[in-house]
Amino acid sequence: MFSDHNHLSRRRFLSGLAVTSGALATGVGSWVVRPDWANAAEGPIKVGIATDLTGPIAYAGTADANVAKMVIKEINDAGGLLSRPIELYIEDTASNESVAVGNVRKLIQRDKVDMVLGGITSSMRNAIKDPIVARGKTLYIYPQLYEGKECTPYLFCTGPTPAQQCDEFIPWLIKNGGKKFALPSANYVWPHTLNVYARKVIEANGGEVVFEEYYPLDQVDFSATVNRVISNKVDVVFNTVIPPGVGPFFKQLYEAGFLKNGGRLACVYYDENTLNINQANEIEGLASCLDYFKTLTKDDPVSAKIQAAYDKDYPGKILFAAGSAATGTYRGLKLWEAAVKEAGKVDRDAVAAALDHAKIAEGPGGPAEMVPGKRHCKMKMYTAVAKGGNYEIVGRSDGLVDPKEC
Amino acid sequence: MGVAKEAVRVTASGVPDIAMSECESDGTLPAQQTRRKVLPVVEGLTLAVAILLPLVLQDYLTVFATRVIILSLFALSFDLVWGYAGIMSFGQALFFGSAGYGVALLARDLEITAIFLVLPAAALIGLIFSLLLGGFLLLGRYPSSVIFVALGTLTGSYAADRLARGWYYLGGQNGIPSISPMTLGSAEITEGPVYYYLALGILVVVYLLCRFLVRSQFGLALAGLRENEQRIAFFGYKAQHLKAIVFAVGGAIAGLAGGLYAFHEGFVWPNMLGVVFSTQVVLYVLFGGSGTLIGAVIGAIIIEGVSFYLSDNYRDVWPIILGVLLLLVILFRPLGLISFVLGERERVGSFGRKPKGRRHAAP
Amino acid sequence: MVQGMASAFVAAFEILSFGAIIVLVVLGLGIIASMMGIFNFAQGEFVLLGAYITYLAYSRGLPIWVGMAAAPFLVGALGFVLEGLIIRRFYAAPIVAMLGTYALGLIIRESVRGLIGGFYLTVPEPIGGSIDIGTFHISAWRFTIIVVTLLVMVACYLLLSRTTFGLRVRATLENPALARASGISTPMIYGTTFAFGAALAGLAGALIVPVFSLFADLGIRFLIQGFVAVMVGGVGSFIGPVAGAGVIGTLSAALPWIMAPVIADILVFVLAIVFIKFRPQGLLSGKGV
Repeated sequence: MFSDHNHLSRRRFLSGLAVTSGALATGVGSWVVRPDWANAAEGPIKVGIATDLTGPIAYAGTADANVAKMVIKEINDAGGLLSRPIELYIEDTASNESVAVGNVRKLIQRDKVDMVLGGITSSMRNAIKDPIVARGKTLYIYPQLYEGKECTPYLFCTGPTPAQQCDEFIPWLIKNGGKKFALPSANYVWPHTLNVYARKVIEANGGEVVFEEYYPLDQVDFSATVNRVISNKVDVVFNTVIPPGVGPFFKQLYEAGFLKNGGRLACVYYDENTLNINQANEIEGLASCLDYFKTLTKDDPVSAKIQAAYDKDYPGKILFAAGSAATGTYRGLKLWEAAVKEAGKVDRDAVAAALDHAKIAEGPGGPAEMVPGKRHCKMKMYTAVAKGGNYEIVGRSDGLVDPKEC
Repeated sequence: MGVAKEAVRVTASGVPDIAMSECESDGTLPAQQTRRKVLPVVEGLTLAVAILLPLVLQDYLTVFATRVIILSLFALSFDLVWGYAGIMSFGQALFFGSAGYGVALLARDLEITAIFLVLPAAALIGLIFSLLLGGFLLLGRYPSSVIFVALGTLTGSYAADRLARGWYYLGGQNGIPSISPMTLGSAEITEGPVYYYLALGILVVVYLLCRFLVRSQFGLALAGLRENEQRIAFFGYKAQHLKAIVFAVGGAIAGLAGGLYAFHEGFVWPNMLGVVFSTQVVLYVLFGGSGTLIGAVIGAIIIEGVSFYLSDNYRDVWPIILGVLLLLVILFRPLGLISFVLGERERVGSFGRKPKGRRHAAP
Repeated sequence: MVQGMASAFVAAFEILSFGAIIVLVVLGLGIIASMMGIFNFAQGEFVLLGAYITYLAYSRGLPIWVGMAAAPFLVGALGFVLEGLIIRRFYAAPIVAMLGTYALGLIIRESVRGLIGGFYLTVPEPIGGSIDIGTFHISAWRFTIIVVTLLVMVACYLLLSRTTFGLRVRATLENPALARASGISTPMIYGTTFAFGAALAGLAGALIVPVFSLFADLGIRFLIQGFVAVMVGGVGSFIGPVAGAGVIGTLSAALPWIMAPVIADILVFVLAIVFIKFRPQGLLSGKGV
């Protein structure tokens, strides 16, 4: 029913960008990127990407898909993996868990991929991990910063965890902001779990949590919260409200004079993409802690190389940024490549065993190492502050930071 | 109507006419019987295709087809409520989703996954919620306006969505993932042909039950309700009670569908309770043709099938096309696609009197 | 003491500004419902269109207020056209009207989504900054919204009660058959009314976009609140929906101050439905202005 045939598609997110050689699409279904040479005796290795190409976080999902295409092309151009070409299958999870499960099933049952990488929000990860890992018996790499506590076997996480984002960040915030923290949050699992950890670190460093609140995801009026922040003289707003509420929230805080009175905004998922949600003056001084910022390209040649390669292939509005899982995607694919090389084959158990302790020397922001037995990744962390619409690095970790999970 | 039985009879033109509906009471052939009955043909065809489908489809498409079957069951619940009782329920997803969440909690907290416990539980949850909501909205000193019921059900669905989204015990926006599969004894019922035939079987049974209901004396009262509510009240029928009963049955069916869906997909999330899902089922039925039962099933199949196919190639444009198609159907073919093949007479159905001894009393 | 009073004033102001936004959105909905007896499920999407037009103007380099001024007229014109082509056929069956306008809203929403993708886009306020009251700040733009809403309401009232056009509208509202027999062009009145309702929604969208940011699902949120507000206030008059919007808006903004936002959210709707059940005609029933 879905025979292979050359068939150029009109997928919009590729329009205007350099089309990678041999990019094809099957009749009904995902994007398939098939390299020009497919003469390996064992056939190609199949990698599946399941990410949000449409929906409110389409900017993140599209970036991840772009990074995947870039990395796979690099690997194929260098001769492939185990002398076999890699075929990339991309499915849209559409920010809709129901659609996502259906499309992920296609990757597993129809395309029979050897590995799936993807999911951005925790709810998406929770929805698709079962079809991939349990029912599909396939390896799953999750590339995004999240709340931790994901210890499912065969599920590897290559994005920052609360420990990595808070352990050095919060002491910096106390020193450069103040002791009184507010935790306004979106009401779902990531903020809930992150706040538990954050509160621990805040209080261990002498800070105080003045209030912790949860709002419906589409709430856009925060007058009550803003009033509480101002009247309690909060120093640091450790925010986990996400779009669409975060834009109005920061604006309302600014209008109430929070920044003028010396308050500090902190938001651990803020990267170059989210800078555009507000006007620059509304988020002046906002601090974030991620594994990569574009400004690192000035002094890190590896980061510069990766950023340049991405910008060349995918110029435009879809940015290579750490809050969108793009860096985690890069890291995850390279670690997986290393693991497959070590294992010598692609079957799940062998690769999982090798991936357990895989390392890469070159990644965005620095090298990365999986922690054996924990399925989480050590990486360098950076604290940055928004100044005039751009980030400035104000803190770097000494080495690779431990994720402290599982 | 008594039991659905097959009757082969020869029409005036000499062509054998296989009918799966009741036969006329006194054995004579009324004038309209000279025309071939289309409805049973449509039903039979659909059933035949449904039975044969897994044999020709790849695995993951069978899984998709199972989902469509479950959604058809859901659509059936709405057709019963709207097409036969005239209740515009914009919130059927409330019952669908609550049952889904209910069985998810049973599986997660109490580890109950046995099929003979969870499916009845799902139907029961749907029944209870619909009795509560229906009772509040429909019963009372003055009959409620249609708009009020529509708005009330819409608000119910919306409020449930917001509640589930905000309640951390129910998983908040993330919902409840990784629901263990349904079990029959010690065997797991997983997605694939097994689940497909299970869902299909349940759909057929519920479909026949609905047919039974709407072709009975009860159905006759409902037909009168649809035609002229005031007049039927003057006849002594408690119109509001009739409506509440139908609403409750619809809710139970929606709940059953919700339970099946939760175990099939393996997760539940607030959108299952919400407005978009509620209106989805309204659209299936409108498209297929309300008041025919099979129209709901066909509408679900067509819309889901076309969505699946088109959403890959025309992802950005498909929802717009869907909206335009629906608008066209509403404007020019309000009786739905089925009206292309089904005459008006057949649509309403016949409620012929049965020979003595075979009929039950009216409510 | 002065602190407390100032704080209460700020709170009241915030509640008022939120209520004003709801009133704008609901005004159009109410007028259409009162006049033609149909609930316009696409009203939320008219709000979205107003917001989108404003953004479009801004992104093309025009001053924001140009987009804001243009939005109501453009959306109103679209409303007029839609009414003539499509909505007119629904007057006989209000339920079908709900579904038809839902389909229409779907088309509009997905079209906008196709144009802007899944992004959340911002527009700066034409009148930025804040007004200082002691140590408390009030957003200047939100203050402007309240002022504009009041002006619009007063203008509507004057239009309906003092002008010949308004007289015709009220006549059609009270007795369409007699109005037609008297020579009033009912289709024209309906068309203009629908256009007017759409224009109000467009204006609401234009004013809101600096506060809420533009995204494709902006309309859904206001739709449900709008419906409930109209039914609570009472269909059939001008002041009814306004009252309803005021109540719903105020409750929605005030309750989160005293209870968890999630509970507040739902409580407003539950209370509203219960209220409507026991008083189906709403707060202020009766036809006309």
